[in-house]
Amino acid sequence: MTVIELKNVQKTYGKGAAEVQALKKINFKANLGEVVLIMGPSGAGKSTFLTIAGSLQRPSAGQVLIENQQVAELSNKETDALRLNKIGFVLQAYNLVPFLTVKEQFELVKRVKKQNNLDQQTLQKLLQKLGLTDLVNKYPSELSGGQQQRAAIARALYANPKILLADEPTASLDSENVTEVGQLFKDLAKDYNKAVILVTHDPRLEKYADQIFTMMDGEMIKKQ
Amino acid sequence: MFLAIKEIKKEKLRYGLIILMIFLISYLIFILSSLAVGLASENTQAIETWNAKQVILNKNANVSMSQSVLTKTDLANVTMSKNEALLGQTPVVAKSKSKAQVSSQFIGVKKNQFIYQDQELIAGRKANSDHEVVVDQAFKVKGYHLGDQLKLNGSAQKYQIVGFARNAKINIAPIIYGTLPTWKKLRQGIPDLRASAIISRQANYRENHGNMKTYAINDFINKLPGYTAQNMTFQLMIGFLFVISLIIIAVFLYILTMQKMHNFAVMRAQGIPTSTLVKATVSQALILVGAGIVLGLAATFITAKLLPAAVPMSFTWQIIASGTVGLFLTGMIGSLIPIRSIIKVDPAKAIGE
Ligand SMILES: Nc1ncnc2c1ncn2[C@@H]1O[C@H](COP(=O)(O)OP(=O)(O)OP(=O)(O)O)[C@@H](O)[C@H]1O
Ligand SMILES: [Mg+2]
Repeated sequence: MTVIELKNVQKTYGKGAAEVQALKKINFKANLGEVVLIMGPSGAGKSTFLTIAGSLQRPSAGQVLIENQQVAELSNKETDALRLNKIGFVLQAYNLVPFLTVKEQFELVKRVKKQNNLDQQTLQKLLQKLGLTDLVNKYPSELSGGQQQRAAIARALYANPKILLADEPTASLDSENVTEVGQLFKDLAKDYNKAVILVTHDPRLEKYADQIFTMMDGEMIKKQ
Repeated sequence: MFLAIKEIKKEKLRYGLIILMIFLISYLIFILSSLAVGLASENTQAIETWNAKQVILNKNANVSMSQSVLTKTDLANVTMSKNEALLGQTPVVAKSKSKAQVSSQFIGVKKNQFIYQDQELIAGRKANSDHEVVVDQAFKVKGYHLGDQLKLNGSAQKYQIVGFARNAKINIAPIIYGTLPTWKKLRQGIPDLRASAIISRQANYRENHGNMKTYAINDFINKLPGYTAQNMTFQLMIGFLFVISLIIIAVFLYILTMQKMHNFAVMRAQGIPTSTLVKATVSQALILVGAGIVLGLAATFITAKLLPAAVPMSFTWQIIASGTVGLFLTGMIGSLIPIRSIIKVDPAKAIGE
């Protein structure tokens, strides 16, 4: 089932001579239960794509549909609620609130989104899987890069979103952890029925993907 | 509240320093206000204990009670009820053997009138004869005791201290309460002298014929030497202090908030609504200001206890209330300034960093 769809999406930054066409007519679809990989060189527009897909930014032209709902038609408040309820972000860096412990990161979500979060048991299982069980009382600054990344994944999943967007989720992981996190994303997509969209340079993740796209100069080409 | 408290808990040093700053500002405001009120009340304490509403003086005395002279002729046609009292004031230097000299104000009163009758003593008894006096508690602080013999302006006659009065100060000087005949003796050389002033507890009492003129008590107080200038100086100082502390607190809260923009972007990306962030920012400012004020109040209480009695300090409920409200408003305004930036924070900034 298609959960997110981009139709003819364009994004232009700046004006006149400084104009950059970061996205040119992107058409994209992702289904529940799949892992989608977006690859491409630096400056290709991957992060821009992710911010627009995650409704952090509006496209210059074209449409974004999440569960067949046009994002452009939503008010700011509704967009907040959409992000809170349906989208989980795992960002490359600084993606946790620095003054909250791992446990409190979940608590913050719970205070704003009171329902449909993971129940305690499922959360414990997830933390176990991510190797975070003993780290819940630590602040982000007390965690390694890989542990922060996994804590960010846990935080994103806690709100039980349909769509998980991750920017370079394996950037600070060694090979062993990459395999683990790759498998984790695949399991999440299959077992929890989510659309997992990963922006990455990392070819080691390819084997976990259902679809792979390559971005180049603002254009997106499907691989295979 | 959750975010506000958690953040303070994590960044103890940073927020500790801000609380320290607010504490020092509030301490300064409370101390200055208390001194201002304390000093002002040393000008008027006695007048307040008399519950005076009107003061009748010689119209040529420039509203100065110690300069005013009312003679037998002036008082010839005056009718006085139990709410009026005659009073003679003159500055004197009091001295007792082996004790420090005390610049004071001698006030002569009549036994059958209310100023004498309503005297509140903290020790001893009221004066019964021309050679007995009741003095302000300031004398006690200076080492004087009941039974001590005072010489006034180096007089041969000695006056025995028979009581200590509460709040008996006028014009920042302690009062020596005695009789009108004693006062006349101290102001020797003026014929037919009767008193300096008539004090009335009735708002509608008037006595304006001859050399006499009636002054409402507030006009009289404002004309006390130095009183208005002193109060205006303090008011200006405290006013400036508030404005400057508003700016300092606002600047600190602004810098603090601007440093957190990235965190806000991350939370906005997670779908945390702007209102949560605004509430966290304002409640954090209030927590910081509140903590600073509590410490400031505590320090002021301790200071007031430790300061020697000679320092006039009066830490009243009005000061506590208005200082607290003023500082809270200051903190509110300070924390509301960066709100515009919070509302405009771009969640997309959280990505691609
Ligand atoms: N806020 C912005 N203002 C102006 N230009 C921007 C902005 N954000 C991105 N760009 C430009 O848009 C293009 C795409 O940027 P984007 O960040 O999406 O690339 P990316 O594929 O994520 O690169 P990387 O792999 O280095 O993260 C780049 O040319 C970039 O300079
Ligand atoms: Mg990027």
